[in-house]
Parts: sequence; structure tokens; C-alpha cells
Amino acid sequence: MTQFHTLRWRVYSLPPQRTRTTCPRTKYNNMTDIEERQSLLGNVNGESEAEEPGKQMSAISDPTRLLHRIVVLIFMCFLGFGSYFCYDNPAALQTDVVQDMNLNTSQFMQLYAWYSWPNVILCFLGGFLLDRVFGIRLGTIIFSLFVCVGQVIFAAGALLNRFWLMEVGRFVFGIGGESLSVAQNTYAVNWFKGKELNLVFGLQLSMARLGSTVNMNIMGWVYSRVADLIGSKGPSTLGTALMIASVTCFFSLVCALVLGYLDRRAERILKKEQGKTGEVIKLTDVKDFPLSLWLIFIICVGYYVAIFPFIGLGQVFFIEKFNFSPAEARAINSVVYIISAPASPILGFLVDKTGRNVIWVMCAVVTTLAAHMMLAFTFWNPWIAMSLLGVSYSLLACALWPMVAFVVPDHQLGTAYGFMQSIQNLGLALISMAAGAILDNRGYLFLEVFFCACICISLIAVVVLYLVDFLQAGEMNLSAAARARLYEETRLQEEARLQKEAPSDSE
Amino acid sequence: MAAAARGVLLLSLLVLLLNATFCSGDTYRRQLSLELNPGLNSSVSPLPPGINLVHIRSLGDGDTLHFLLCNQGPPTLLIVHTNSTSSSVQVDWPAFLSGNNSGSLRVEPENSVLHSNALVLVRLWEYDDLNDTADPQTVPPSSFLPPYELSRFQWGPLNSSTLDPQGPGGPEARLCGGDGSPAFSQGELCLQLSTFGSGGRAAGWPGLLHSANSSQLGFWLQGVRPRADRARFLLELQGLGRPHGPGRVEVRRSIDDEYSPSIFTVSQWLATPPDQSSPVLGFVQWRPVAYRRPQPEFSDTTPCHHSAPAAVEAAASGLGPAFYGAEAEASGLNISFGQPGEPAYNTTQYLSWTVLAGVGAPPADSFSPLVICIMAVGLGTPLLLLLLGGVFVCVRKHRLPRGRATGQSTRTTAWPRGRATGQSTSTTAWPSGRATGQSTRTTVSEASEGTLNALVGV
Repeated sequence: MTQFHTLRWRVYSLPPQRTRTTCPRTKYNNMTDIEERQSLLGNVNGESEAEEPGKQMSAISDPTRLLHRIVVLIFMCFLGFGSYFCYDNPAALQTDVVQDMNLNTSQFMQLYAWYSWPNVILCFLGGFLLDRVFGIRLGTIIFSLFVCVGQVIFAAGALLNRFWLMEVGRFVFGIGGESLSVAQNTYAVNWFKGKELNLVFGLQLSMARLGSTVNMNIMGWVYSRVADLIGSKGPSTLGTALMIASVTCFFSLVCALVLGYLDRRAERILKKEQGKTGEVIKLTDVKDFPLSLWLIFIICVGYYVAIFPFIGLGQVFFIEKFNFSPAEARAINSVVYIISAPASPILGFLVDKTGRNVIWVMCAVVTTLAAHMMLAFTFWNPWIAMSLLGVSYSLLACALWPMVAFVVPDHQLGTAYGFMQSIQNLGLALISMAAGAILDNRGYLFLEVFFCACICISLIAVVVLYLVDFLQAGEMNLSAAARARLYEETRLQEEARLQKEAPSDSE
Repeated sequence: MAAAARGVLLLSLLVLLLNATFCSGDTYRRQLSLELNPGLNSSVSPLPPGINLVHIRSLGDGDTLHFLLCNQGPPTLLIVHTNSTSSSVQVDWPAFLSGNNSGSLRVEPENSVLHSNALVLVRLWEYDDLNDTADPQTVPPSSFLPPYELSRFQWGPLNSSTLDPQGPGGPEARLCGGDGSPAFSQGELCLQLSTFGSGGRAAGWPGLLHSANSSQLGFWLQGVRPRADRARFLLELQGLGRPHGPGRVEVRRSIDDEYSPSIFTVSQWLATPPDQSSPVLGFVQWRPVAYRRPQPEFSDTTPCHHSAPAAVEAAASGLGPAFYGAEAEASGLNISFGQPGEPAYNTTQYLSWTVLAGVGAPPADSFSPLVICIMAVGLGTPLLLLLLGGVFVCVRKHRLPRGRATGQSTRTTAWPRGRATGQSTSTTAWPSGRATGQSTRTTVSEASEGTLNALVGV
């Protein structure tokens, strides 16, 4: 613990320097500086590469090299695996959870609501905790621990047949879950900013989706194996299966530890700061948020509440409406995630190259609406609708989130993103509960119509956003080329101004 | 925005209006009247205890429907459709109560009868579902327990508590009884007949849609002690009719599960002439769902399955032979309750199932007005906005042609993300030093227009 604090103090005491954007990727030509820094930081582990900084390190262990970054990326990706795997455990075992714990759908959806509640607040606090209290490395490890402990409590609740304990488990799990992804993003920015950042975000999303997919397709099997071993189905079967699932969380914890080590090592070698979320949350900023940002919030909430709660309830929907077997239902329920895994980086690349984010968001929302309407009003093969949902879901994620950066200044970005996630979680918590109650009382058609209505609200917001952006001549909907031109122009303009100012300053 | 809000308000008003129109739905109305044991002179032919004949007369504009429920013999619901407004039920009570009651009940004038059909609840089977298949076809015969013959049941009296001439939709009658065995010491089997003066939907699940031409029969078992560890039930039904009895069962898929959550099919046992294209004469319709609790929640839903209908010999006693004699076409089918993996009857000791029987074509569900309105508003508003917005954008683009000829052109205003605002020089990556709003713009357009113009060609 003290180790971290010393390190952090050192880091903060260093003069502020930009990590990668301003420092070109050069080898350290100043050996003395490096040695100095090494002595400053204390050569804790005494790795060989630190001992011979002047020498060419092998690509895999050189933090400036791509190969090393790929290694880091792998750990970074698996960091979120456990939490994503376990987040959708209830969805994967919907029928079993409901039967073993003797629940109705509203109670079942509470499991999702309880995950979201802590995050309504933690979205603001997560960045602060990471930057100011724990530091990214320790913070990541702590949040991973929360995820592990939460999942274990969740499983214990099932083992002991105490539903309230399961809810407590989900709450604890939620405390860790979202903040962990903030940490994951911070690591990504810290390591890949100005390089392959979009791709990395895409890959991380892919890995998260992979976690969900594997969960959806494997948990049913795990459950039935456990049921075979125990000899009967019941809370203890469920609890055991969930305990087994918690292994993934421990795996992610290991990743957090390794990542912490690698990051500290890179810090020592590259003289870079410990990664920061850079989030400065100032709730007073909220009053300055432009209309466009509020519209983005509405899109975000309206959209995601029609995706995650739907997937949470999807299994029984496919069984009841389309006569799928439970295994088939799990498979199709996971198809959104399966598609999202490869589609996210590809679509991310596409959006990067073309710009015009608002149009992309509109496409995504319309496609999702179409998919939901197909599920609601037809008996068409649901694979079509779910595939559409998968593509549009990935597209939205790629196009929507970066738009925030176009409408608020940098120093408000943290608040804006925090607020966005907070509202999203509030929406998810409320809509999860509402969705359960609607299903209990009004059935699936009405639930689907309800989801369609949410998407429609989202769609209205996109249309208004398009108009607002058009009127204000904002840059959200510029093509990538126009955007690049804009930045180039601004840059030249800036230079011209500086040149003009320079003589007057000297006067 | 205010305009949009007003639009939404207007639309929701429209919704309410639509709702009111839709809810009245089927506007065809009938006059209903209830009569117990029509034409009985109890001094001449005293009724055996517990035997009752309920007659509900449903008078339309040019026709009459007679709904008859009787618990002599197997409980039977008989529906007779006449094209006369003055048709009546005539019962020869001494014959009706005798062993051979063939032809003892008539609807007169006989030539006014258009169609009639009857639903007979013959017996209730119970089996031990040891392997949890919930499929009586695969259960070994040894697992079947002796069935409950409903014709041998003793029924409670029909009195003010079980007979409601002013039910929510129309007169209702409830019959409860048991076979006197220990299994029924604490429990009973009940039937409830509901009739309707107009179209609508019964409250509570499965919320079958009904017209004035139909009646609803509820069936439930309450507190009957199971005779096996994993007891499941099977209800044996018969359908009678003249000229055509219920024959084929049609299973219609329905996307609408609003009134019986998670149930996406409707089964209907149709009485049709051999010529398939001619209209349906009568029907028995149900949602393939039963409930395990009196006030069911979603998780108390249990599916039911029907066997293929087969021609059978009509039950020998009761309302069926009294009306049809030996002429009726009879077919039988079984409804089995439960599904593998679901708890057996033992857990709740309750089971309810509801069926709709009537003449003419069975009512077809449509979306509820609420669903239609939500979708209409949900899709209409963005479309409207898109349309208006599109027109607006077009007009605007047309009015402000490209180029800087107009001075304050759109492109100039598009630029000022810039740092030309005298802010401190910041070397961070882009959108950082963005000053807010209008001031920036004017600054840029005034101060550095020259520079901008010089740069446009880049």
C-alpha cells in the first residue's frame, strides 16, 4: 500500500508533462535523466530492462513498442471479462433462477436494478476515486475485488436460498462493475492515446461482449452439469453454478494485478504519469451543458434501456413466443453480443473514417426500432431481428459516445460522461423494474411495445439533435474529411495568431 | 420544442379519443335473462338434490341464443341459436329426470333452430408424472389413477351466492361439487358459466375476448387432494353439434399476449360444414394456458395441450341426449395440463382453465388500443419531426447558398471552434480550448475574417 503512495507522490511531484501526444515516441536519449528517475522511484523489482535502459529492449518488453502494447492490451481486455461474464448470469439462467428461487419477473429484474443503483452515483465518484484516492492501479484492483466479492455473495445467496443476499451481491458487484470499466478505459487512453485508441476501445468492447456471449452459452451447460452432479435442481445447484462463474472474476482480478505491475514498470521506464481518468467532475457544469448534450443523454438512455433489460428477459421470450429450446434461446439471446464483438472495431473504424456521427446514430436507432418491431409484431425468424439488433447496437456505441467530445469542452468531458453513465444507470435500474412488472402483468407484446416507445423517444432526440446541430453548424455531423480540414484550419489559424502576437508581446 | 410538446399533447388527446372509441368495440348488444329450471313444476316432478338446469336467454335483434348449463349427468353447456326472437326452451321434466331422457328438451319452434352445439365435461383424469414428462401419451397406463366421472359428482345448490343474474357482462352461474371421496373432503371442482350482453374481455387472465354470441366457461380445481406424489390432470371433453359438431382444432398463432402473458397461440375447436369455405357455425376457443393459483402471477402460468379430436360415442346421460337424442355428431379431446420441469399440481393444489364457447366465428384478438396508440405516437412523432426538419433544412440550404459572398456565411460560423479568442495558448489536442457560444463567433468573424478567408482555399 505504502509503495503505491510513494510512487504516486513521486509521480505528482514530477513536472507536468504530456504523455504521448506531445512527446514523440523516441528512445530516451538522456540517460542521466532516466537514471535519476530510477533512483527517485526506487528500483523496486529490479527488472533487467530497467537496469540497461540504454540498450535496445526486446520488443515484447519495451513499453514503447507495439508488441508490448499488445501484451498489455490482452490483459486490459481480460480485465473486464469477469464482470461482463457475470453481469448477465441472471439472463443466462433466467428460467432456473426464477424457478429455483421461486421469483416472479419483477423480482428477477431486481437483480439487474440492484446492479445499476450504485452506479447512479459511482459514475461521478469512480473517476475521482481512481484519480485522487486510489490511483488507477490500486483502484482497478479494488474494483476487481468488489466484483469478485459481489459475485461470491450473489452465489452464496443462491446457495443459502436467500434472495435478499443475492440482491446484496448484485449491489456489491455493481459497485465494482462499472467503475472497473472506467478504469479499463483510463488504462486504454493512457497506453494508446494518439495511437490505436479507437481500435483499442473497439477491441475492449469486443472482449466485453465475448464475456457476455460465453456466459450466455455456457452457463446453461454448467448449470445442468451441476444439476447432474447434485442430483436435483434447486437453490444449491444455482449457487454452485454461480460460484463456478465467479472464477472468471478472479481471473480478471489477476489481470488487474498484472496490469498494475506492467503499468508501473512502464511508468518507470517511460517517465510517464500514472494514468488518470482526467475526470474532473463539477456538478455545477451541468447547468452549462448545451442542448445537444442533453439530447445525447436522452438518446443514450432511451436506447440502452431497450437493449439490456430486453436481453435480461430475452430467454423466456424466445422460448414462449418462438418455441425455442432453452439452449437455443440462450444462443439467440447472446447473438447481439456475438455480433457486437467483431462488429465494434469494424464499425468504429468506419465511423472514424466517415464522420457524420449523427447520421450513423440515426441509422442505428432506426435499425434497432425495426428489429424490436419485428420481434413484437411478427413471427419472422428472430435471428434476423437479433442480428440487426447486434449490428445497430455496436454502431450506436461507436457513433454516440464520441459525440460528447464534440459538444462539451475538454474540462467538462468528465462531468459529461459521468452524467451520461449515471443517467443511463438510473434509466436501466428503473426500466428493469418497470420491464419486469410490465411482463408480469401485460405480457411480451406490451413489453416490446414499451421498448419500441423507448427507442422512439431516442429517435425523436436524434432527429432534434440533427436539426440542432445543423442550426448551430456544429461539428457532430461533419464528415471526417471536413472535420480534419476544420482542425487543420484551426491549427493554422492559431499559428498565424501566435505569429501576429509574438512581436507585440516583446514590445 | 414547445411546438413538439404541443404536438405530443394533441396526439395524446387523440389517443384518449381513439381509446374511448375502440373500447366500446363490438357494439352488437343482446338482452339477457336468466331462468332456473324452466317450466319445472316441482310438485309434479321433484328435482333430485343438487340437480339444476340454468337457462340464459340472449335476445338479439332478429335472433335468440339459448345458453343451457345442466349438471344432470356429465356437466354440459348447450348453446342453441335460433332465428326467432320468441323461441323458447321446453323441458319434459319427468322424462328429463328419468334414466332415458332422449328428446326431453326442445327449443321451439324447432324450425327456427339454426345451429346448436354443446360442450360436455366427461371426466377428469389424474396421473402420476414420475418422469416429469407432462405428456399423458408417454406415461405408462399404471400411472393413471381411476378417473373422476363428473356425471357421478354431487353438486352444491344453485342459490343467490352461486347465481348472479346481474354479472359484470351478463348472468353468471357457478356449480361446485365433488365425488364424495376423501380427495374432495377439503376441495371442490367448480364450473362457472358467464354470459355477455356485448363484446368485451373478461377481467383477469386469460382475459379471453368475447362477443355477445359467446359464453365463457371457467373450470377450476381447488384444494382437491392429489392422489399421487407428482399429480397432473387431464380433462376429457366432448363436443356435440347439429348439423355439425365441433370437428377440427385450429391452433392460431397470435402475436398478442397482452391479456394472457407469454401465451402466443389460441386454440379453437370449430364446428364447420364439410365444405371448408363456408362460415364457421360454432366454436370452442381457449388459450392453451392454465393457472396454478386463484390470483395468478406470471410464474403461476402453466401451459396446456390438447389431443387430436376424435369421433366418439356421445355421453349417455345429461343435456346432450336430452336435446340431441342419438343424432348428434360427437367428438372428443383431452386437455392435459402442465409442462415438463414445472411444479406438479401438488405444490399449489389449484388449477384453473377457461374456455369460450359460442356460435358463429370465434372472436379474433386484435391489438389493444393502447398498443396501437403508443406505436402511432411513437412512430408518428419522429416521422413528423423528420419531415418538418427535412423541409426546414432544405429551405435553409436553398436560401443560404454556398460561398462567402454573403459575408457571414454558414461556413464561417462553422469554424469558430478555434482558439482565436484570445484564450491562453493551449497546446492540448483539439476540442479543448473551445470558448462558449456567441462571443466566439462574432470574434472570429470580425477579428480574423481576413485570415479565415485567406485560409479557405486550403
